[in-house]
Amino acid sequence: MPRYFFSIRCDTGPLDLAVDEEGDELPDVAAARRHARTLAQDLIARHRMSLIRDWFACTVEVTDEAGERVFTLPFADTVPDSF
Amino acid sequence: MTRLQPSASANGLLRRLPPEDFDRLAPDLRRVEVELLQVLIAPGETVETLYFPESGYGSVVANGGEGGTGGVEIGLIGREGLIGAAPVLLDADRTPHQTLVQQAGTMLSLPASALTEAVGRSETLRRFLLRYVHVHGLQVASTAYSNATYTIDVRLARWLLMCHDRAEGDEIRLTHDFVALMLGVQRASATIAVQTLEGNGLIRAQRGRVTIRDRTRLREMANGSYGSAEAEYARLIGPS
Repeated sequence: MPRYFFSIRCDTGPLDLAVDEEGDELPDVAAARRHARTLAQDLIARHRMSLIRDWFACTVEVTDEAGERVFTLPFADTVPDSF
Repeated sequence: MTRLQPSASANGLLRRLPPEDFDRLAPDLRRVEVELLQVLIAPGETVETLYFPESGYGSVVANGGEGGTGGVEIGLIGREGLIGAAPVLLDADRTPHQTLVQQAGTMLSLPASALTEAVGRSETLRRFLLRYVHVHGLQVASTAYSNATYTIDVRLARWLLMCHDRAEGDEIRLTHDFVALMLGVQRASATIAVQTLEGNGLIRAQRGRVTIRDRTRLREMANGSYGSAEAEYARLIGPS
């Protein structure tokens, strides 16, 4: 199974990019998209961090084992507008 | 076999025992090597063996019981303590929690029957070890308080201080996956928290390990989430 890496980039605050060096094995890109979506939603809902002032200014950057970018997913796109 | 001497023991409980109490346990102690993730106390099974760590340490993990997924670390036991103390000394036979090796090392194993017999014969030994059980309970309570009160980076600071107390030097071997499991968070959160502490110069993070750089500021970061159980250990068991 391919391994995908889910790094987090934030446009505001002191954190620039949190590089995922460990990654997760997932069957395909569609599964990686679902994983990224769940990850972002869970971070928004449950994970208060003193360094991250606004999760909605963050993006999940997904790369493959070759280090090539597969897709990016803004956190804001993972929740309905009325959230 | 060389005879174990209490004063020479790397374990904080054994080292502080009066000679007559140490002698009650010594014949049954066996030095064993423990490996990463080895299960020392299995959930729901009679505890037959306890462990006095000399190096390395174990995580006490709660997993929500039947149908629970993953697990969250609720306590850490290293050379200051005794793995299996609570269920055996409190006459509970077993525990729903699992204790597994988080850092490989050397421990002295002791059959539960030998400990039960020894504390039956020595009131001083029983009281001393019950004070330790109490202090460990305070550590677990402190984990509950931290999990409910503090952000993940602060909780990471507390956890690293506790690992550092039990490690051989300043280097702690861990993956972000493991940090995430221990703190009950997403790996991405663990990565961000590690990066926060590193960005502030408190630790150096390399793949698979973290080095403590500034313990004083790590304590400031932990912001009171660390230290109360440790102070009670010093009061009830002995100063470090």
